[in-house]
Amino acid sequence: SLVIRGEKDEQAVLCSKDKTYEMKIADTSNMLLCVPGCKTPEQLMADEESCDIIHAQIAGFSNNYWELRRCRPKLKKLRKLLMEDPYEGPDSAKDQASATSKYTTEDLLNVVQASEEEIMHQLQVLDACQIEGYWRILNFDYEVKLLNHVTQLIDSESWSFSKVPLNICLQELGPLEPTEMIEHILLSYGKKYTDGGEVYFEMNEDKICRTTAQMLLQNAVKFNLADFQEVWQQSVPEGLTTRLDQLKGLALVDRNSRPETISLLKVEDLPEDNQERFNSLFSIREKWTEEDITPYIQDLCAEKQTVGALLTKYARSSMLNGVKVYNSRRLIS
Amino acid sequence: RLPQLCARSGPAGAEDWLLLELQGEVEPRQGRALPGSLLGDLHYTRQGVPVLVVGHHVLYGRLVPLEKPLAVLEKRGARYAVTALVRTKLLFKTRPKPIVTHVPRKV
Repeated sequence: SLVIRGEKDEQAVLCSKDKTYEMKIADTSNMLLCVPGCKTPEQLMADEESCDIIHAQIAGFSNNYWELRRCRPKLKKLRKLLMEDPYEGPDSAKDQASATSKYTTEDLLNVVQASEEEIMHQLQVLDACQIEGYWRILNFDYEVKLLNHVTQLIDSESWSFSKVPLNICLQELGPLEPTEMIEHILLSYGKKYTDGGEVYFEMNEDKICRTTAQMLLQNAVKFNLADFQEVWQQSVPEGLTTRLDQLKGLALVDRNSRPETISLLKVEDLPEDNQERFNSLFSIREKWTEEDITPYIQDLCAEKQTVGALLTKYARSSMLNGVKVYNSRRLIS
Repeated sequence: RLPQLCARSGPAGAEDWLLLELQGEVEPRQGRALPGSLLGDLHYTRQGVPVLVVGHHVLYGRLVPLEKPLAVLEKRGARYAVTALVRTKLLFKTRPKPIVTHVPRKV
């Protein structure tokens, strides 16, 4: 079955189990008359009965109809809702207050304009977890705290990052944090597998480095790039190697300033609408190379659409010092 | 809580309807309302060409399979039910030709 979703101030979308479609009214100057049971010439010829007069009734008429156009699910709202009350841990006094905005799966299905599968997939992407039936996103500081417990244990036990045993983690960290949270952080930052009947996690080294970078970058507007790279490498757990390409969609490097700088820019903080996204990006920086802008527009691509196609549509290209750059098609104030 | 409008086909499945597409507007005869009035007669030639006689006009059309089928939804409370699917339309785009009846000069 299909569901039409949308609040009063939103444009309606139609959702199947796993896809989302925009509903647009298509106007035609012609009159469309619906005739139930009216036969085509083929059907009449196939009919063995003699051709008497068939009395048919026009069920109704219209000069417009709804057209469905497959679109990207509108998932920005999902993150916005879950960020209203991030989970700060079991000791947080906030959670005890009942007047907090928390959402069950059904609540989310009612207000997010996306199909159920698209919503469930996005919850996984956001590393959301269910606590007492409500979907929660972890408060960043709490997430870092949990991650540090794990990385410190990996260090003290001298484990390989690709073979972190679940049972020992739960054993050692259980006194510090709820076991569900320990398992959740392992699932968020690692890939679960079994070996010899035991559960292990292959840790995502890039993601650990990325979170460390976010922790450093969110405390200042801009960082000296060279300084940042040094502090960042020193801050990540022993054995991990930092690389700037780990920060795509999270941070923006300015190679034209002296000294070179880096600042936090999260793609999930940018507008969801295509034109608004481009306006926002061009107001942050006048000219972008394809390499720099790609992580910030990749998610806008429709099925089978390329970043190149988006750039052709929403930007104008020019050459700057022998490099192809893109700028806005319109005047940005 | 938002009302969710669900579209679901009936237990017997959706019927197949035909769409008649006409240019311009259809007006009822003077004093009559559209509902209940006769629109006209639909014929098919031996070649399968649809011919519509409306009032004293004749329109020639053609069968057009719809690129994207249409669904007819009927509102039932807070839900929509899929009443029918339309896969073909009879498109009448040519100018209606008036039918002139032969009046003999002498009876």
